[in-house]
Amino acid sequence: MSGTDGDRPPPPLRSPRQELADSTAHGEVYLRRLRHAQLQLSLLALVAFGAVFGVLPLALYLLPRLDHVHLLGVPLAIWIMLVPLWPLFIAIGWLYARRADALDAAFRDLVQK
Amino acid sequence: MISLAAISAVTVGTLGLGAWGVRFVRTTSDLLVASRSVTAWWNAAAISGEYLSAASFLGIAGLELQLGASALWQSLGFTAGYLALLLFVAAPLRRFGSYTIPDFAEARLRSPRLRPLASAIVMLIGGFYLLPQLKGAGLALQVVTGSPYWVGVVVVAAIVSVNVAIGGMRGITYVQAFQFWVKVFAISVPACVLLIHFGGLPGRAALFGQQLPRAPARGLTVKLPGSQAVQFPAAARITVNGRPLAVAAGAHRTLPGGVPIHLPAGTVVPVADGTIAQTGAHWSRPVGGTHESSPLLVYSLLVATFLGTMGLPHILVRFYTNPDGHAARRTTVRVLSLLGLFYAFPAVYGALGRALTPQLYMTGQTDTVVLTLPKAAWPGTIGTLLSALTAAGAFAAFLSTSSGLLVSLAGTISYDVWPRLRREPPSGVSVRRWRFRIAALGAMVIPALLALLARSIDISILVGWAFAIAASTFCPMFLLGVWWTGLTARGAAAGMLLGASIATAAIFTGLALADAQTSTVGALLAQPALISVPAAFAVMIGVSLWDPVKIDAGAEMLALHAPEGLGLRLAEDELAARPEIASSKPG
Repeated sequence: MSGTDGDRPPPPLRSPRQELADSTAHGEVYLRRLRHAQLQLSLLALVAFGAVFGVLPLALYLLPRLDHVHLLGVPLAIWIMLVPLWPLFIAIGWLYARRADALDAAFRDLVQK
Repeated sequence: MISLAAISAVTVGTLGLGAWGVRFVRTTSDLLVASRSVTAWWNAAAISGEYLSAASFLGIAGLELQLGASALWQSLGFTAGYLALLLFVAAPLRRFGSYTIPDFAEARLRSPRLRPLASAIVMLIGGFYLLPQLKGAGLALQVVTGSPYWVGVVVVAAIVSVNVAIGGMRGITYVQAFQFWVKVFAISVPACVLLIHFGGLPGRAALFGQQLPRAPARGLTVKLPGSQAVQFPAAARITVNGRPLAVAAGAHRTLPGGVPIHLPAGTVVPVADGTIAQTGAHWSRPVGGTHESSPLLVYSLLVATFLGTMGLPHILVRFYTNPDGHAARRTTVRVLSLLGLFYAFPAVYGALGRALTPQLYMTGQTDTVVLTLPKAAWPGTIGTLLSALTAAGAFAAFLSTSSGLLVSLAGTISYDVWPRLRREPPSGVSVRRWRFRIAALGAMVIPALLALLARSIDISILVGWAFAIAASTFCPMFLLGVWWTGLTARGAAAGMLLGASIATAAIFTGLALADAQTSTVGALLAQPALISVPAAFAVMIGVSLWDPVKIDAGAEMLALHAPEGLGLRLAEDELAARPEIASSKPG
C-alpha cells in the first residue's frame, strides 16, 4: 500500500504539516502518496467485488444446468441472488472502510510527527 | 377504506413530523450542531429512507412478476451503487464540502461556466426520477380507492410540492429515518405473514417448473379497468360478460373493460400485449430467460445502478449530516446493511403474485402487485389490513423520495437557473426563499404531466433511465474529479454532454421504436449505460488531455483527500457561512 523507499522524499527540515499547509512540492508528494494508496485500496476492493458479483450474471448464463438444482424447492440461482451477496457487500464495505481509515490515521501520524 | 386511512396516517404523520422537525431544527441548532448529535446508524437510516423509492417498493416486485427473476438484479444494483459510492467518493466528497453537484463541479474545476450544464443535468435526472414516483402514486391510489389514474398523480404532486414550498420535510434526518423503518415494516410484515399462511411458496410448477400461470381451482373472474389487448398462450374457453368465447392458442383478442371476464379453473391466463408468457423454468432464470434478461441488458443495468447512485441529485446532500469523512464511510457501510434488509422482501411479492394474482398479467398492471397481493391472496380482514400496510409503505416511499428530489430541483432552479435567466447579481435571502417556493411548485408540473403520459411504462424501466443518465454524466465527473488531477473543465463538460446525449437519445429512440426491443440493439436502447458510460469517460479523459488550459488541482486535492483534524482544511464554520450552502443544507 505504501510507497517504496526509493520515492520517499529526503528527511524534511520543516515538518510535513508545514509543507502541506504551504502546499510546497514536498507537501504535494505526501498527499499524492496518500491519494494513490487510497485509490489502490479502492481498486483492490472493486476487483474483489467484481470477481464475485461482476462474474455472476455471466456464470449463471453459461451454466443453465444450475436451473435444475433446487434447494428447498427454489432454484439455486435464485438463492444465490437473494442471500449470499448481501453479506459480501457488507464485508467488502466494512473491510474497505477499516483499511481506508487506517491509511488516513497513518497519514495523520506522519504529518503530526 | 382501511387502506385510505393508513395512507392518510402516513401522509399526515410525515408532514406533521416534518413541520415539527423544521421548527425544532431552526430554533435549537444549525446544521453542524445537529450533525454531531446524529449517529451513523441514524444517518444510514435517513439515507436509505430517502433512497427507497417507488421503484424499490413497487417496481422490483412488479418487474419480477412481469419478467421473472432477472428483476432481482435491480435490487442488487441499487445496493451495489452504495458500495461504489463508498469506495470512491463518500469520504472525499464529504471532505470537499460542496452541498450540491453544481457546487462540486464549479469548485473542483474552478469553472463557474460548468454550473448551468450541471444544473441542467440535475433537472434531467430529477425529472426522470420524479416521474416514476408519481406514476406509482397514480397506480396506488387507483388500486386503493378505485379513483382514476390521474387523481393519485395530481394528489401526490400537489402534497409534495406544497409541503416542500412551505418548508416542511427539508430532508430532516429523523423524519427520513422514520420513513425507512415504516417502509421496512410495511414490506416485511405482509411478506412474512403471507409466506407463513401459505406454508411457503404456492404454485411451484408455475414459478419454477414447466407451467404457465393458470386460473385457480375456483376459477378467476377479472374486471379490466379498460379494454385491453391480450394474447392467449394456450387455447381457452372463457366467458366474457356471460357470453362464452373460445380462443385458439396464440390468438390475440381485445377484451372489453368494466365487465366480468371469467376464466374456468386451470385456464392458462392470457397476458396483456407487451408481456411475454413464460413457463416457470424461463421465468425463474436470472439471466437469459427471455431477451429482456439477456446478459447484455443485465450488465448494462448493473453498470447503470452501480455507477448511477452517486450521481443522483438528492443523495450527495445527505452526506453532510456526517461530521467528517471517516463518519461518511461508516455511515455508508451501514446503508449497505439496511438496504440489504429491505431488499430481501420485494422478491417474495413477485413470486407470490405469480401464483396468486395471475390476473395482473391480463390487466398489465404488474406494478401494483405489492398493493393487490395481500387482499387477493387472503380475502378477509387480515388480507385487507396487510394491503393497507403495503399501501401506507408505498406512500411513504413516494413522499420521501419525491420530497428529497424536489428540494434538490427547486434549489437548483431558484439558485442556479433563475438568476442566470434574469442576468442579475446574487440576491438576498428573502428573494431566494420566495424563488425556492415558486420553483418547488413549478418543478412538479412537467414530471406530473409526463407521468400522465407514461402510464404504460414500468416504474423500474423509468428509474433505470434516471440511473443511466446519472451514471453517464456525474459519475465520470466525480470519479475523475476526485482521483485524477488532470481533469479540466472542458473535459468534464464534453464528457457530461456526450453521456447525457447518448443516454437520452437512446431512451427516446427506444420509445419510438417500441418493436425493436426484442433485439440486442433494443436492449441497449432500453438501458444504454453499457455504451454511454464508457463513452463519457473516454471523452472526459481525451478532451482533458488535449485541453491546453490545465488546472493545478493541488488545493482541491488537499480538500478532497487530507484527513480532518490536521488544521489543513477550510474551517467548517467558514463553509457554513457561505450563503448557497445555508440555503440547501439538510437538518
